Amino acid sequence: MTVLNSITSFLAQTAADPAAAASTSAPVEPTSIKSTEFWMPAGASNFAAEVDWVFHFINWINVFFFVLVVAIMCYFVWKYRQKGREVYARGPNHNLPLELGWTILPTIIVVVIFFMGFKGYVSMRTPPADAYQIDVTAQQWSWQFKYPNGATSADLYVPAGKPVKLVMRSNDVLHSLYIPDFRVKQDVVPGRYTTLWFQADAATGEETYHRLFCTEYCGKDHSRMNQRVYVLGEVQFSDWVTKQGRWLEELAVKNPGDASILWKVGGPRLYGRCASCHTIDGAPGTGPSWGNYDGSGDVWDRIQAGAVHKVDGGKPIQDFIGPGKQYETPEAYLRASILNPGEHVVSNYGNVMPTFKGQLRDAEVDVLIDMMKNLKDKDGKPNFDAKGRFIGSMGPAPAGSE
Amino acid sequence: MTTLDARPTIAAEAPDNYLTFRRGLLSWLFTLDHKRIGVMYLFAALASFFVGGVMALLVRTKLLFPGEVAWMTADQYNKAFTLHGAIMVFLVIIPSIPAALGNFVLPIMLGAKDVAFPRLNLFSFYLWMLGAICAVWSLIAGGFDTGWTFYTPYSSTSQAGGVIPVLVGVFILGFSSIFTGINFVVTIHKLRPPGMTWFRMPLFLWALYATAIIQVLATPVLGITVALLVIERAFNIGIFDPSMGGDPVLFQHFFWFYSHPAVYIMILPGMGIISEIISVHSHRHIFGFRFIAFSSIAIAIFSFLVWGHHMFTSGQSPLMNVLFSAITFSVAIPSAVKVFNWLATLYKGSISLNTPMLYGLSFIFLFTIGGLTGIPLAVLSTDIHLHDTYFVVAHFHYVMMGSALIAMIGGLHHWWPKMFGVMYSEFWGKIACALVFVGFNLTFFTQFMLGSQGMPRRYYAYDGTSAGIPGYVEGMAETFRIYHHISTGGSYIMALGFVITGIYLLHSLFAGRKAPANPWGGASLEWQCTSPPPHDNFSKTPRVGDCYDFSAVHWDEKQQGYVVDADAHASSATSGKGH
Repeated sequence: MTVLNSITSFLAQTAADPAAAASTSAPVEPTSIKSTEFWMPAGASNFAAEVDWVFHFINWINVFFFVLVVAIMCYFVWKYRQKGREVYARGPNHNLPLELGWTILPTIIVVVIFFMGFKGYVSMRTPPADAYQIDVTAQQWSWQFKYPNGATSADLYVPAGKPVKLVMRSNDVLHSLYIPDFRVKQDVVPGRYTTLWFQADAATGEETYHRLFCTEYCGKDHSRMNQRVYVLGEVQFSDWVTKQGRWLEELAVKNPGDASILWKVGGPRLYGRCASCHTIDGAPGTGPSWGNYDGSGDVWDRIQAGAVHKVDGGKPIQDFIGPGKQYETPEAYLRASILNPGEHVVSNYGNVMPTFKGQLRDAEVDVLIDMMKNLKDKDGKPNFDAKGRFIGSMGPAPAGSE
Repeated sequence: MTTLDARPTIAAEAPDNYLTFRRGLLSWLFTLDHKRIGVMYLFAALASFFVGGVMALLVRTKLLFPGEVAWMTADQYNKAFTLHGAIMVFLVIIPSIPAALGNFVLPIMLGAKDVAFPRLNLFSFYLWMLGAICAVWSLIAGGFDTGWTFYTPYSSTSQAGGVIPVLVGVFILGFSSIFTGINFVVTIHKLRPPGMTWFRMPLFLWALYATAIIQVLATPVLGITVALLVIERAFNIGIFDPSMGGDPVLFQHFFWFYSHPAVYIMILPGMGIISEIISVHSHRHIFGFRFIAFSSIAIAIFSFLVWGHHMFTSGQSPLMNVLFSAITFSVAIPSAVKVFNWLATLYKGSISLNTPMLYGLSFIFLFTIGGLTGIPLAVLSTDIHLHDTYFVVAHFHYVMMGSALIAMIGGLHHWWPKMFGVMYSEFWGKIACALVFVGFNLTFFTQFMLGSQGMPRRYYAYDGTSAGIPGYVEGMAETFRIYHHISTGGSYIMALGFVITGIYLLHSLFAGRKAPANPWGGASLEWQCTSPPPHDNFSKTPRVGDCYDFSAVHWDEKQQGYVVDADAHASSATSGKGH
């Protein structure tokens, strides 16, 4: 039971089904921070107070003018309603003071409002020189956040009370990073870097989080690039970033006798980034399933000698795999599929997979390959469920997976 | 002294009008009569509106459910909202007021027999049809899912097969718009009758003139933009491809350089209609004629200077952002002042709440909301939060649909008796207007809150899915569901209102009461010919008066309509100095 608990809680850090976590005595699934106001979500950054102030100021001016216009309209429609058929009505056609007044007054108001927005905006575009930098890569359809020590994460973890600067780029099309609670947003563009910065003072811990969205339409799963933003206090953050940078190494070091832990526990965690296009159980997706989708077996079976898998419009994959051929071993082919996916495209699929070069370390690529080799155990039973969670036999209790 | 409209207008004894002048399909397909061309445009635009509306209902229905549904995939949803936007913008809103109502009304209101270039006019209509056929072709080719804005690099690399066909269609539709614009500019300059000075010209014509300027100057940029995108897709030359040294954000500049002025193509004629409706149905001279006329031209000019306010988060430089934000307010002020002018026109009027007037009053209500909610979007610090959320969707629906489309429908009801010689059911007109008004507000007001609370736009699902795991970001459905439910409910109510409108308007064509020449008491020239007008509009040169001077307009019991005493009308104008 303890083994299951530790595995489950470890997996809960990545992308796990809330129901599974709740069914054991593992920690409760974290929740997102909810809005308590009618118009705006909870404000949680250094910009929120000012943006909200300007928004509400504009809102009240708008309410005032709207009520004024509608009330006058309704009153006039009632008071000057037509009586009888002879209807010529005399009224003023000009009134210079009135016309000047209702031109100049709104002009003054909008000039004031413009300056408020300008001031707030200048602050948004001027990150402090000592901001903590996190690199962001967006691609169809996932995010990756990379920390100064090389740690990577699908969710955004930030230190509380320090300015944070995101340096962002896209691997393919336009995306946009939006954290409503922080009131920040910036498009993420391929071929260049864009930046945004903020400072979040209130720590969320790991029990609650802010919501992060992609908000520039980017194709099929544009609405499925949602991530969490955790704000951690200084000590908790530095622990997290250290551990995150070494998660794979720690797993290996603490389980010296059992190398399979890497793909049993590490695999599902990495698989999360592949899941948006590759299913595990043979179900159709944007990319070929790792499981058996056409009767020729799972991804490892399909690239063995004697299999009938076709690429590039009909060439058998065996033309490329084997001693003396382009890929010496099936593992080499799988590695190339991850780092240079356009080289050979599986028949009946489009050339849409982005490269993961620079986003996965060699050790992480090895873990994914091992996972693909071990989709079934020696009796043919699946080792992973449809969501990529390990359901096979764990063997001895793993250490270091808390 | 006889007046033009002393002739009886009961249909059985009516002289030939433009509908009966020649009969048969070919007489319509090869017509050079601006009125027939306007009618053909009208039915074409209304048919497109129906298709675009069905797309919208599909989108809204999906959004009742936060997560994935079996009956619509994300890809289908993306195609549905894209098609909704593209149809509504390019086939409905941009052409409908100028090409449908404008074509019909402009020459008659001006006092001319037709537009300056009738053949070009027919050609414009056929270009519209060709563009619409390209849209259908694009659906057969697999549809397109790029959003109506076609941002690169997604649009230059999307696997959907219908992208190039629809871009070809947009290119062709652009020319339809340009030629209509040229036609209107020349007509207004050259075909005014004696006495019709610029400042005697009705405000609808000023609005159409300003619109035509934009159509001629801005639309070519759209043509070039879509042509570049077609070439990029077909030959991969790399203008928008960063791996080849291109810049995807450049597309946005090209696109919005047209598309921002385009939204003024949509709204300016609508505002012109409202000036007519408010004045006629209040039987009161319009207040501030010169200001309204000049503000249309000013808006047309300034509209070219603000396109970057669609791109505040695009990576555009902060300096550009600041400039665009500041200049944007220059367009806002004239629009606001027009609203005050219309209110002042109601003052001391004699207001009849016919269906067109109800649409006019709805316009004032909805345009005020639409215009005011543009302010937090023009203001930089708030726009960063609101951009690409439902707040923007709500804002532009209030101005494009709640204002421009409502004005179009109001104008349709205002000129329907003139166009077809029949009256529709006032009772059902009021019911439908109420349904549309209530439904519209339910649909779109909720979207302001959706947006400010952070719901992004163009989202198939709002269940917080990440990497295939629904609910990973939890609570989204709880936060947003209620707004989506109310919004979808409102959309069905609105749809019902439009369906009822379609039914009673069609019914009126077959069984409506015959319309008098001047059912509402207007004083502009189109009310001084029969309903429907004769083939050549005027058998004698019309006498121009002050089109907002109702002192010579009187109710005629026998005709059950108003009559303009043309002599009194013309002389009252010449004694004054115009507006």
